[in-house]
Amino acid sequence: MILLKLISWPYIRKHLLRWMLTIAGIVLGVAVFLGMHTANQSVLYAFRQTVDRIAGSTQLQVSASETGFDESVLERVQSVPEVRAAAPVIEASVNTGLKGQGNILILGVDMTGDRNLRDYELESGEAGIVDDPLVFLAQPDSIIVTDTFARQNQLGIGSKVPMSTMEGEKLFTVRGIMKSSGLSSAFGGNLAIMDIYATQKVFGRGRRFDRIDLTVKDGARVEDVKKKIEGMLGPSFQVESPSARGGQFESISHVYALTANITSAFALFIGMFLIYNTFQISVTQRRSEIGILRALGATRGQIRTLFMGESVLAGLIGSTLGVLLGIGIARLMLGYIGSLLGEVFGIAEKAKEISTNPALILFAIVLGVITSVVAAFIPARNAARVDPVQALQKGKYQQMSAGENRVRRITAFVIAILGVACLVFRQSHGLVYAGDALTLLAALLLTPTVAQLVVQALRPLLRWVRPVEGTLAADSLLQAPRRTSGAVAALMLSLALVVALGGMTRASYGSILNWLSVALNPDLFISTSESLTTRGFRFPESMGPQLSGVSGVADVQGVRIARIQVRGMQTIFVAADIAALSRRATLPPTAGNTAEMYRLASQGKAVLISDNYALLRGVKLGDVLDIASPRGVLHLPVAGVVVDYSDQQGSILLDRSVYKRYWDDSTVNLFRVFLTPGASETDVKRRILEALGNQRRLFVLTNREVRQYIMRLTDQWFGITYVQIAVAVLVAVLGIVNTLTVSITDRRRELGVLQAVGGLRNQIRRTIWLEALTIGLVGLILGLALGALQLYFGLRITGEDLAGLRLNYEYPYEISLMLLPVILLAAFLSAIGPAESAVHGSLVEALEYE
Amino acid sequence: MIDLAKVSKVFNGKRQVTALENVELSIGRGEMVSIVGPSGSGKSTLLNLIGGLDTPTSGKITIDGSLLSGLPDDDLTRMRRDKIGFIFQFFNLLPTLNCIENVSIPLHLRGWPKKKIDERARELLNLVGLGGRMDHLPDELSGGERQRCAIARALSVYPPVLLADEPTGNLDTHTGADILKLIRDVHARLGATVLIVTHDRNVAESCGRVITLRDGRVVEDRAGLGLTA
Repeated sequence: MILLKLISWPYIRKHLLRWMLTIAGIVLGVAVFLGMHTANQSVLYAFRQTVDRIAGSTQLQVSASETGFDESVLERVQSVPEVRAAAPVIEASVNTGLKGQGNILILGVDMTGDRNLRDYELESGEAGIVDDPLVFLAQPDSIIVTDTFARQNQLGIGSKVPMSTMEGEKLFTVRGIMKSSGLSSAFGGNLAIMDIYATQKVFGRGRRFDRIDLTVKDGARVEDVKKKIEGMLGPSFQVESPSARGGQFESISHVYALTANITSAFALFIGMFLIYNTFQISVTQRRSEIGILRALGATRGQIRTLFMGESVLAGLIGSTLGVLLGIGIARLMLGYIGSLLGEVFGIAEKAKEISTNPALILFAIVLGVITSVVAAFIPARNAARVDPVQALQKGKYQQMSAGENRVRRITAFVIAILGVACLVFRQSHGLVYAGDALTLLAALLLTPTVAQLVVQALRPLLRWVRPVEGTLAADSLLQAPRRTSGAVAALMLSLALVVALGGMTRASYGSILNWLSVALNPDLFISTSESLTTRGFRFPESMGPQLSGVSGVADVQGVRIARIQVRGMQTIFVAADIAALSRRATLPPTAGNTAEMYRLASQGKAVLISDNYALLRGVKLGDVLDIASPRGVLHLPVAGVVVDYSDQQGSILLDRSVYKRYWDDSTVNLFRVFLTPGASETDVKRRILEALGNQRRLFVLTNREVRQYIMRLTDQWFGITYVQIAVAVLVAVLGIVNTLTVSITDRRRELGVLQAVGGLRNQIRRTIWLEALTIGLVGLILGLALGALQLYFGLRITGEDLAGLRLNYEYPYEISLMLLPVILLAAFLSAIGPAESAVHGSLVEALEYE
Repeated sequence: MIDLAKVSKVFNGKRQVTALENVELSIGRGEMVSIVGPSGSGKSTLLNLIGGLDTPTSGKITIDGSLLSGLPDDDLTRMRRDKIGFIFQFFNLLPTLNCIENVSIPLHLRGWPKKKIDERARELLNLVGLGGRMDHLPDELSGGERQRCAIARALSVYPPVLLADEPTGNLDTHTGADILKLIRDVHARLGATVLIVTHDRNVAESCGRVITLRDGRVVEDRAGLGLTA
């Protein structure tokens, strides 16, 4: 500790700027990790709170995925002797016409039985109105709102609230206001209670419920009752405690969480590099100091501890700053994640506050410190190995010994061979990851050697551009391979990431566009909401013939989309008339015979699965899927695997006749409408809205609008990858600034001599600019090359673990071309500060500088 | 050639240190002058001020008729590269460049054509006796050879003023004598004004004029004893 204060602190204080730049990597890594996870957890926490608060005293909830179930199930549940009270529930998220309010969660309940489970805590005075449920029930436009919502919108008893329903926009009357506690604070207070039978009607749910909430009798064990009801209702029903429902959310958002982890791991990895680099330089610069300490009796252990202590300090400071920044990031991301989960995954939840998790914060800090300590390990060991006699002699230390270089090269070669072996013999996903990690490691080990070779090759060019400045810049880089390779490696890693992500984005865009043009070929889409993923509203089947009757309409296909549990995972089912579908669009199969698979599927004898489902779940052509339905378990073989991007986690295509029969559900989420030749989209859209728009809520989207909508979703998803790119470039710039700052400190005397013998300020500046540009250029060359390799791994990982997209390898030349000016400009900008500090220092001091 | 009028230099650190106080000095064209004095007497500061590496707190310095005070940095640099050659105690050669490249640097900075640079560098290296070591890196030279190379670099444009800060301080007696001989030789052949800061009595006395500094003031200004080191 005393050494830390006496020896390290003065050094840190002298090189404060460099220190700050170094820990910036840790700050960013920790901030991204904490920020993204905190935002995610906040939304999750809000979701759980909503579930809990809505649950009231409910002990078990009976549901059937997203499809809902027939009313008759309620009687069967109520007939179980151990059930004390059971009440049906429908939940729907609805857009209100009120300014600034957005969505409100409608809880449809049976007022007669529900108050056994939930306490509405009505404001005094109004209690009388709802205490007689008959009054509430007699008027189907009745709603109870929370006092938060009432206050925000200046609502009182009798106020009207507009909401878009299946029957178009309707006005509802506030007939009760809940006090702000418990239930009323769910969904951020944007909650309203409505009679369940009125809910069924206005949201087009038919005679179905979403869920049954129940409590068990005293003396009965919840676990026993759960098993009993599960046994009675069969596998298509889920019987869970309210808290278990939060788990669904977690499983759905796991792709997002994984992406967050990859981003922060990357930032930390580059951060680790910066720290390693700085410590390595610090050890080099402080060799004589270490030598003196050793001569005065410091042990190797003490020297090692000194440097490790510094790294712990750096890690702690970096992590603490990272935590603060991360909380800021979380606040910024909250809205973004809410809408991402809403639009991509169809989960409505809003979190107004971020909820910080002490365990997560602690973990982030530990992560930052460990990164820093691991990074400083080798430099600390080198410091401990310093020979005191040699250290006190003058000389150059930046050069690596030939032995060290050879060992590095051999190790890199062996690791590269292992990496290739992993690829050739990849039996499991683990080997792909291992191959990726090994290739990265080999590239890092080879960086000094390759960077030296590239700079060597660039030297004549630099010399030709500027005989003195160019030569000096190149020599400065060649002279200090450690200093150079640190920045080059950081830049190489981040650019490789940019290229890999860019390539993946490009390939995904390509595939998605391709799919859009094949699968999404109807002229018009009739949906219950502006976003195609909201499944809260449904159309009755009878709307199909009505649409067919509109002039200009040639063909109408009803599609029911729902999440259903298969093999323990909620999976998107697309139930459509497959024969009709195949007449209009044939999804390209990746396995199976086109004619045969469509024939079997349209007869209800098989299902088609999406390519990404097959990859992610490991399902093959011919496998039989057991799908639990309210009418028993369906055993359907997979007749074909097709390219379909309806859902990131994969989808199953089923004939709607089978769905109707087994799920007792004839409703439809979406109508695909094809026009007669020559009919105008706008005219038909107008005619549909005229004929049906008044009766019910519907949105008519043109093919172009749907494409734009899907591309916007895709963009939103890739938004996260742009954050990664920004982080990568930022960290790389920090690396260059750091390296240049050190380089100028090292070369103060050299630059002083240059000025003493007649170098003008601009000539000195140009030397430093050229040095930065060379680092940028070398980093670019290596990064673009490594990126080509990383893209290959990235495509495999996306394909097999994340989204199941089967993507073609195509090098993103445009991005690479774009990176050239971006990085060179960034390098140049990074050099301005250091160059100015170099020309503005005292010449006398520079010449005396030791 | 070199005129100093009431030149003072004060360093403002934690404590104020007066390095030079009201120095009046005039050095004629072609003189060879040594500056001696104990450590901290202001020798190097004086040399740095004359060389334009540093600026005086007050007073005027004139080199070959041009006033240094108030010149912008780039003009100061131009004056330096046209009129002054520096020789340092620790040579200050660029370690990655060979002899000919090191000598060429000031000429490149002036934008001379490559062919002319090459001719001049060879000529200078021959002059200082390094004709056979042109392609050697500083690491491959002895101390004396390095200083010869540094002298060749200082002479690159045959400047009228040559400033040497302890040119023999880092060399053994024999080599030091060789270097001093070279400087005297250069002085005789080129007629440059030479200023040498030194601790070495022999070096000092070998010059035509010896100026002694103490506590920032000129305390003695006399003719050299004409010793040859």
